Amino acid sequence: MLIECKNLIKTYVADGRRMTAVDEVSFVVQQGEFIFIHGHSGSGKTTLLSLIGGLTSPDTGQVLIDGQDNWQQSDNALSDMRNRTIGFIFQFASLIPALTVLENILLPMSFGGLAAGARERAEQLLVQVGLKEKMHSYPGQLSGGQQRRVAIARAFINQPAIILADEPTGDLDEETEQEIFELFKTVNREQKATFLIVTHNNHLATTIPGSRVFTMRLGLLSESQGG
Amino acid sequence: MANPLLERQINFLDYTLSSLWRKRYKNLAVVVVFAVVIFLLASFQLVSNGLLERAQTALVMAPEILIQKMTAGRQESIPIAYAERLHDIFGIRQVVPRVWGYYFDEVTLANYTVIGRDQVGGGTDDQLAQVLSEGRLPTAANETVLGQAVFRTKGLQEQRIFSLFRPDLSLKTLTVTGLFKKESNLLTDDLIVLSLADARDLFGLPDGLASDLMVTVANPREISTVAKKISEALPGTRVLTRPQIEKTYHMIFGWRSGFASVCLLAALAAFFIFAWDKASGLAPDEKREIAILKILGWQTADVLVVRFWEGAVISLAAYLLGCTAAYIHVVFFGSTLFLPVLAGWSVIRPDLHLLPAIHLADLLLLFCLTVMPYLTATVVPAWRCASLPSDTALQGG
Repeated sequence: MLIECKNLIKTYVADGRRMTAVDEVSFVVQQGEFIFIHGHSGSGKTTLLSLIGGLTSPDTGQVLIDGQDNWQQSDNALSDMRNRTIGFIFQFASLIPALTVLENILLPMSFGGLAAGARERAEQLLVQVGLKEKMHSYPGQLSGGQQRRVAIARAFINQPAIILADEPTGDLDEETEQEIFELFKTVNREQKATFLIVTHNNHLATTIPGSRVFTMRLGLLSESQGG
Repeated sequence: MANPLLERQINFLDYTLSSLWRKRYKNLAVVVVFAVVIFLLASFQLVSNGLLERAQTALVMAPEILIQKMTAGRQESIPIAYAERLHDIFGIRQVVPRVWGYYFDEVTLANYTVIGRDQVGGGTDDQLAQVLSEGRLPTAANETVLGQAVFRTKGLQEQRIFSLFRPDLSLKTLTVTGLFKKESNLLTDDLIVLSLADARDLFGLPDGLASDLMVTVANPREISTVAKKISEALPGTRVLTRPQIEKTYHMIFGWRSGFASVCLLAALAAFFIFAWDKASGLAPDEKREIAILKILGWQTADVLVVRFWEGAVISLAAYLLGCTAAYIHVVFFGSTLFLPVLAGWSVIRPDLHLLPAIHLADLLLLFCLTVMPYLTATVVPAWRCASLPSDTALQGG
């Protein structure tokens, strides 16, 4: 699935001052690519992911996913697109406390009626993130790292074409981080899923051959040498 | 499951119940506070309606026209001979002298209402007889009919004879021949009915005088016309009609009712402030949850359905709880919270057992005043939050 960002500008007003979070960003991502976006805190990485995921609208510019402009769609169509096309992994705990681990993973599917085999797929994902035995636990009973792994499993449940991950392994140990990236590579290989990963860790890109690396600085995006 | 639409709704409900259970203590507290407000309002409404209907029944006993003698703006005893001056007025069926007053019983420290009248047959006697639960009206000297509270306060069981003090402290002995029904307690609970002569004897009134004259008319539609003729025939008297008495009663009751309403409005206002506070903004974790749901593909309508069900479960539970508690309070506990205010007895309180008058319109009004604002207060902030860009969920950490 092709992602095109054209002249994206996004500004915020903070403490009475207008800040440019994303400044004239344009780039194209082909289906199945691994994209790493590096940059310091506040450089605009997360805002760029929000723009691509249709979570916030740009001041100017366009985000086209397979030629369809995100912000030319109705709110409901945009929600539907997010549900079917994009898997989100946030940089903070994003599970619903009232639901069990299994229910959290099935949440993106459950409101269209669960497809056949959905539960089995959720259990398989739990095996892949090493939390099969926790499937009936509640988020409050898990560590921060375990919650992050559940969120990763949830992001894959609908077999989305695009994964937007904001510091996906931020609070995981090295071994688990390695396992998660192996999972990313498997999903990328098997589903041709596109990954856009925001991370501080410059080393990760080198583990995935063919990946492209971008750097954000003061809202400006520049491509650097890939992995 | 075969039907995705049904499964979708079940999932919404499942999510709603999970969400309610997660914040069960907070939600339980809301239900309790909410139910108390509804209980107060519903109890008040039930008692008001019950009392009005009861009063309507009891006021049937009121005379169609009452003549009182006025001197210097104050009521004094009226000569029974005044009745002879009314013979020429067409439309009067009967004129009955009545003695009535208050008797303070120093033994029981209770205040009774005493009415002395002779049985003359016809309208008023029939009406009085209708509110007797047992026995008969007095027909001979020293016989009496009592209200339930007087009977109870005097400690009468099998023994049907008791004594009251005359003004000169000599004892007057009376035999109970009948009791008034509980249904008419609002007006008869503290009542002692005697013959005219016995009442005069009890109060030490001279012969030939009464407290007032009760007039029965042939055609109830002509009450005001007859009353006007009486006023002209008996200058220096005050002529009261039953519609006027009913109006006065309603005004007094209305005042009490209004006073209680003001107190209850304070409770309602507190509830509205609570609802408004809830409507004015969601807690950060609630906002984040809605944002996450939107990011995962929920539509704004889906969020609103869940929030609607949350509000509906809480408010309907509180509504049913409050209304049921109000019914129990009125029927089984004698409306102990409101009756002292609304019935307004001073010494002996009427032992009222109201069967609540349930009006669909009142229930709907109560529903609109309580459930609807709460639902609005639940759904509106969720709608405002769900309509905003969802990226706020990505910013927090």
